[in-house]
Formats: sequence, C-alpha cells, structure tokens
Amino acid sequence: MEVVAQLPFRQGALQTAPRLRELRSLGTVHRVRTAMGDEAWLVTGHAQVRRLLDDDRLGRTHPTPETAARTGETLFDAVLGDFATEAADHARTRALLRPHFSPGRMRPLRPRVEALTTRLLDELIEHGPPADLHAMVAVPLPILVICALLGVPYRDCERFRAWTAEAADVGDPARSQRGLAELYAYGHELVARKRVEPGDDVISRLCAAEGVSDAEIAGLSMALLFAGQETTVVQIGMGVLLLLSNPDQWRALVHDPGLVAGAVEEILRASNTGGGGIPRYARRDLEIDGVAVRAGELVLLDNGSANHDPAAFPDPDRMDITRPASAHVTFGHGLRYCLGAPLARIELHAVFTRIATRLPTLRLAVEPDAVRMRPDAVTGGPAELPVRW
Amino acid sequence: MRAVPVWRTTVDRDRCMGSGVCVALAASLFVLDDERSRAPVEFVAPDETVLDAADSCPARAITVTENGRVIGPRD
Repeated sequence: MEVVAQLPFRQGALQTAPRLRELRSLGTVHRVRTAMGDEAWLVTGHAQVRRLLDDDRLGRTHPTPETAARTGETLFDAVLGDFATEAADHARTRALLRPHFSPGRMRPLRPRVEALTTRLLDELIEHGPPADLHAMVAVPLPILVICALLGVPYRDCERFRAWTAEAADVGDPARSQRGLAELYAYGHELVARKRVEPGDDVISRLCAAEGVSDAEIAGLSMALLFAGQETTVVQIGMGVLLLLSNPDQWRALVHDPGLVAGAVEEILRASNTGGGGIPRYARRDLEIDGVAVRAGELVLLDNGSANHDPAAFPDPDRMDITRPASAHVTFGHGLRYCLGAPLARIELHAVFTRIATRLPTLRLAVEPDAVRMRPDAVTGGPAELPVRW
Repeated sequence: MRAVPVWRTTVDRDRCMGSGVCVALAASLFVLDDERSRAPVEFVAPDETVLDAADSCPARAITVTENGRVIGPRD
C-alpha cells in the first residue's frame, strides 16, 4: 500500500493536523512513514485501537530487532525485550508490580496527595499573579507523590529531573542515552541503600520480594520514576490548558466541583489529538479492518486519534466535561492497561478539585496559541502555563 | 460432609471504567458490554483467576465473596 503521510504531523497542541483529520475520515488503517524513514501502519479508529491494545498478535518485541522499523531515535523507541518470552516476561513484571499500585493500596495516599496539592496552591497564591502554574504545581506534584511512593529522596529531584529530561530528548539520541545511563546508575545506588536501610516504600518492598535481582529493581524503579511523573505532569498541564481555553467548561467545573470525575476523564480523552501512538510489532500476519499486515511490521496504535473517533465520541473536538468519556484509551486497554491509572486519577482529581475551588477566576495570561509547548519531549505537553486570577 | 465452596463474582457497573483488564485475564468470566464489564456467570467454583481479576481492576469494581464473606480484592 502507498505511503499516505510522513510523521510527525505538524499541529498545534489543541488542534488535530488537517492531513490527519483527512486520513481519519478515509479509514482506520493508514500506511505512514516514521520520523526515522521507516514504514508503519497507523491505526486511528477507536474500536480497532482498543481491540489491538489487547491483541496478543501484536507485541513490543521483534524477532530481529536490528531490522525492525523504528518510530524515533531515543531509547524509548528502541525495541526491547525477548521475542520468545515476551508474554511470560510481561505477566511476571505485572504480577510483581501490581500489588504496589492497586486501587486499594493507592486509596490511603489520597489525603497525602490532597495535602501536597493544597500546599503547592498556597505557594502559588502567595506568589501572586502572574505565575507559572506549570512550574509551581504541574511539575512538583507528581514528583513529590512518586518520590514518596517509591522511596526516592525528594532532595535528589533536581538530578533525576535533569536525567529524565535528557532521556526523553527525541532530538538528540546521544543525550537520551546518557540521561538513561545516569538514571540506571542512580537506580542501583538507591537499591543498594534500601538493602541496608529499608523503608515503607515500593523499592524496599521490591527488594524484599524473592527472586528479583538488584539490576531488575533498579530498572523497574527508574521506569516507574519516569512514568510516574512525566505523564501526570503533562495531563495536569494539558488539563489546565483545555479548561482555560474552553471558559464555559471551566465555569461549569467552578460552579460544580462535583463534576471533577467526568472532567478528569474528558481531559484524559481530549489531551492527545493524535498522530503518534503506542508502537507494536505484528507477531504474525493479521488483518486490521480489511488491511493485511505482515509479521514483523510496525503498527502504531494512535490512541489520540481513537479518542477523537466520532463513532465513539460524538463531536470529538468539543471539550465537554459532562460527556461519558471513560471509554478513552489514554491508559491503554486490557492486559497492559496502565498500572499507574489509579494513582494518576487520584492526583488529577485532587488538582482539578482544588484549582477550581481556590482559584475560580483563573485564566491564561497569554493567548492559548502562545503557550510554549515541549517539542522535543517524548511526552509533549506545555512547557509553561502563565496564569492570572 | 462440607459443601464445596462457591464464589460469587459481582461487578459494580457504576464504578467500572471499561479498562478491559478483567476480560483480558479471564475471558470466560467477564464480558465487556456497552463499555462496561459484567460477570455473566455469577457463581463459580473457586478459581485464583477471579481473585487476580478483582485485584487487578483499576476501578476496584469487582467483588468476590464466599458465603457472603468478601475475599477479593485482596489488598
């Protein structure tokens, strides 16, 4: 099939690229070329993406990684894992981590997250307008929470923030690799410390589990440290941006903070306008919506596009905090559904409830289009949020 | 003679977020129906997979009971 688009699409933070919009109207599976020049399938339909997120004919590994099509150059785009044992390896890791991130385990954290949010908003209010809500709330909150959960000293935050930023740099593979190496070294250092002085935290509990090597715990810890902050930072930032650029929705939430659960799901749905997606490799030949995909080919499950499929979400470009939005696929679907989803939801509920009640007159200090975004980061999102109230 | 224990599985469809984790773990015990999960067979023989599904539910929507006593989720 002919290549119909080159990735990445050029688009604003809150708008879908015109070419992507056109492709979505033509079908659900598209032949594209990645930023690396490799060919891939971009799947944009909600029903297809959701089904394929939980289809064992697709995986994250490749039998011959050196020949595999790639999405980008950072290590996040690298083909990792063993093709033969992928399903068993995934099940093992999942079983190892699951008890530490279950809703039951997360629930007692709620008051702590709420207290941290209150403290950060106190500082913002004391600073006075104009202020950067990104730097003062969106960035520190998820880091404080994940540090407390994992048992990572918050005083080290400057160091690992710099490394994760380097690791996520899509424009500079050498820098990305360096950042990741520093992070893993730091992970090893932490594991060594927890072996001697265990605390009431996830890393200490993983150290106490049988049959888990220090290298594995260090790797998992740093993956959790990265995943636990970057993604939520982006969702808080995008949520503020979405709400403040849709003043009617912001007013609705201020008027009734009880709408927060729906608002959070709508933010999760609307925050990604598509064009990228979760990379998978076909483990064998399969057909997606009538299109033949060969074993070994790269398939991008575009969850942002799926979240904007009018068949699943009528009038998808409209932000509506009262719509039923929880069928979004931002956390994935099925076996690989995001382990951190319960924690992320607690953080997002705390932030948006408190912002709406304490800063009802909140507004952007610049035009929405003038908000600087992070073009080089894997996870995207705003680089700043200048606000007044 | 003691009766063979029977487990009862219920899904709180108001809490369910349709993550599909339970269906992925135990396709014979859960189905997604209108974006929400339900357990088509309410009473089942004891089966570790049911408890795994209850533990894994990100919405904590699945409850497993044995003779009225809650045994899952286990955390």
